Amino acid sequence: MSKDVLLCMKQVEKSFSGVQVLKKVDFEIKQGEVHALMGENGAGKSTLIKILTGVYPKDGGTFFFNGQEVQINSRQDAKNLGIAVIYQELSLVPTLTVTQNILLGQEDVKAGILNKKSMREKVLALMECYGLSLDPDAVTETLSIAQRQMVEILKALTLDASLIIMDEPTASLSSKEAECLFEIIKTLKEKKVSILYISHRLEEIYRLSDRLTVLRDGENVAVLEKDQINPTEVIRLMIGKELIDDNSHGQMRPFQPEVVLKVENLCRKGAFSNVSFEVHKGEVLGIGGLVGSGRTEILRCIFGADRYDSGTILFNGMPLPSSVLKRIRAGFGLIPEDRRNQGFVPLLNINRNIAITNYDILSKGNMIVNKKDEMAMCRKAIAQLNVKPNNPEINVGNLSGGNQQKVVVGKWMMRNLKVLLIDEPTAGIDVGVKEEIYKLIEDLASKGVVIILVSSDLKELLRVSHRMIVLRHGRIVEELKEGVVFQEDVLKAASGILGGEAVNHE
Amino acid sequence: MNKKIQISKKFQKPLILLIVIVILTALQPNAFPTLSNFKSILLAISIYGVMVCGAIYPILLGGIDLSVGAVAALSGACTVLTIVRFDYSPEGVILGIFLGLCAGILVGAVHGLVVTNFDVPPFLITLASMNIIYGLTQLLTDNMVISCLKPAGFTFIGGGRFLGMPFPIYILLLMAAVSFFILNKTILGRNIYAVGGNPSAAALSGVSTKRITIISYVFSGFTAAVAGIILASMNQQAIAKAAMGYENDVLTAIVVGGASLMGGEGSIQGAMFGALLVGLLNNGLRLMGVPSIYHTVIKGIVIIAAVAFDIYYRNKNSGLVRSKKETSASRKRRREKRKNENH
Repeated sequence: MSKDVLLCMKQVEKSFSGVQVLKKVDFEIKQGEVHALMGENGAGKSTLIKILTGVYPKDGGTFFFNGQEVQINSRQDAKNLGIAVIYQELSLVPTLTVTQNILLGQEDVKAGILNKKSMREKVLALMECYGLSLDPDAVTETLSIAQRQMVEILKALTLDASLIIMDEPTASLSSKEAECLFEIIKTLKEKKVSILYISHRLEEIYRLSDRLTVLRDGENVAVLEKDQINPTEVIRLMIGKELIDDNSHGQMRPFQPEVVLKVENLCRKGAFSNVSFEVHKGEVLGIGGLVGSGRTEILRCIFGADRYDSGTILFNGMPLPSSVLKRIRAGFGLIPEDRRNQGFVPLLNINRNIAITNYDILSKGNMIVNKKDEMAMCRKAIAQLNVKPNNPEINVGNLSGGNQQKVVVGKWMMRNLKVLLIDEPTAGIDVGVKEEIYKLIEDLASKGVVIILVSSDLKELLRVSHRMIVLRHGRIVEELKEGVVFQEDVLKAASGILGGEAVNHE
Repeated sequence: MNKKIQISKKFQKPLILLIVIVILTALQPNAFPTLSNFKSILLAISIYGVMVCGAIYPILLGGIDLSVGAVAALSGACTVLTIVRFDYSPEGVILGIFLGLCAGILVGAVHGLVVTNFDVPPFLITLASMNIIYGLTQLLTDNMVISCLKPAGFTFIGGGRFLGMPFPIYILLLMAAVSFFILNKTILGRNIYAVGGNPSAAALSGVSTKRITIISYVFSGFTAAVAGIILASMNQQAIAKAAMGYENDVLTAIVVGGASLMGGEGSIQGAMFGALLVGLLNNGLRLMGVPSIYHTVIKGIVIIAAVAFDIYYRNKNSGLVRSKKETSASRKRRREKRKNENH
């Protein structure tokens, strides 16, 4: 091991309920380098970070920090070593000032009384040292997100952090603010602070990183030096060459002329703008794009769960009714992204979770629930979707992720569906159930149901979609409607590298 | 194994009641197990039992209604004042009861509207309105006791007997049945559990969470009003302090009955069990001559114990707390380790 290696992880292993997420991963980061960690969703990036910061216990492997073997069993252990994380959701106290937040937990105290002056000076000195300018007395909630991020970084620096992990730090920043962050990263690098940088935005990675580690399916597939990093290569590594032949592309299909859903110039401030598209009878429209590109928001607006500022949505040529309930009655359904918080009621049993959208059918207009019909419907759903265990009385909160999702799908399958909006249907679900869910989507489409599918899993998107649109920063940047589409095409459009090298599809 | 637990859980509540009754009988063999004492227990329960039937709705939604005692006093005052104003005529009784119920419904509607439209925590709004209503009732009654000893149509509600049992017990049974029916047989009931269990999922399934919330607070106000009218009739008077502190017994009954303050869990059967237990507790303490000052202390301890047990049990099931089996296993491991070290 060379001398300037700050952190070295060897043969790290981790499984969740029998599924191996990290398979003997080696990873190292040098002093004062910006090291990028890349990989598709589910490649094991966040798991690795969580093990490194003591959130999850590891199943196997050893850590070396500054050449010495260390144990990281808690967040405190990581903190003591000088490992700090800047989280996507910032962890500051909004009502405290900048100074108070930066020195939270390490205040200057003399005989039990805060020495505010020295604290303020300490913070000012720190800011000067790293060339940052912030008002130390500003209340944190009045700051912009970029400024809050600066506070987080300063907080990490007071803890003598030698390694700062940044997880998608630019996700909610404007390009100008991101520029500012890059400057900070440069300064940190000069001060010999190492940075582990995680981002889906490829252009940032090329610009910032000195080295890059690519994870795929829980394995470290490559470590690239700065001069080896190029877009095509990275994308290939992330996706995996051996998969290119079978799963990494999808055949787009022609559509029927009948337009069921027409979205025109739809705008929602801060989420998306001027989104227009049509979906035809029996068509599966895939929406690709990075997290935060406005995909989920568009689905929620079509479903009526959120308002939009301008634009029109026409359903069979008619404007849509206003409320969620009325849209459900008109034949709409939504399978939400956040299954646990939005998809089902964990304390209620399968029976009641299936019935929740279908009381209009079950009660036949009267207020009283017909329990026999309810149970019959539930049994039908359980049989159709192969929910396990097949006992209607089991609380959905106690089912496995895949079976929970089947219940969420099931409550819509019992209706006369016209439009099904699907958001990340297979996140955290095992392969077998994935395949069952794809079959269901195909069945529905063949019956003429319009399906809009949002997914970060490119293989899934390409496998199921008949036609695709790709979003970037809330705008449609690409429509892929014919021929064979490859993962590269979608990734490039989504991350904004349309002018990259031509990719050989053969 | 699983089945065994379920069966024992089913009989848990009646078993606890039986044990309490046996203990009280042993402690007070002369005073406790008499028909007249049982009737007086049931009569005492009937007032807050009726409140429980409605107050459980906001709790099932993850909210709370602290104003039930104050609303009861207000409704009682409205009814009595109307009867007095109409010179104790039968029309006055009908109008009085109608206005009393309207007062409760109105307060509930205000609670529901404020909670849904302004996102004020239910705890805060109902705590504030408890004080407001208490003040309003004092104003209405001029802070005096307003007696109302007639007509018989009014005094029968709280003081009458039917088939040898105090009449309020029948009202309690009716209210419990209505509440049970709504919660278990209607779409409204299903939706209440869904909204309480996961408001976002319910909303995305087309449930109008606003409507459900407003209805729940209205029903809570309504049952508090019913209880207030029974109480006024039983005491044959209206007074602002009539039902002060009743919210304690109501909440104790509901929580002891297994409802979760996080919403989504709880039942009328459970809450009625809670009401019975609180009634037995009150009665036992009184019979044993425990000074009333201690009553609140003891009831407070019961509520803390019930909630703590509930949360502990829930965490244990969700794996947040190490289960007994695990700890005993780890203890065993530790013991073995120590043994090895000694060798």
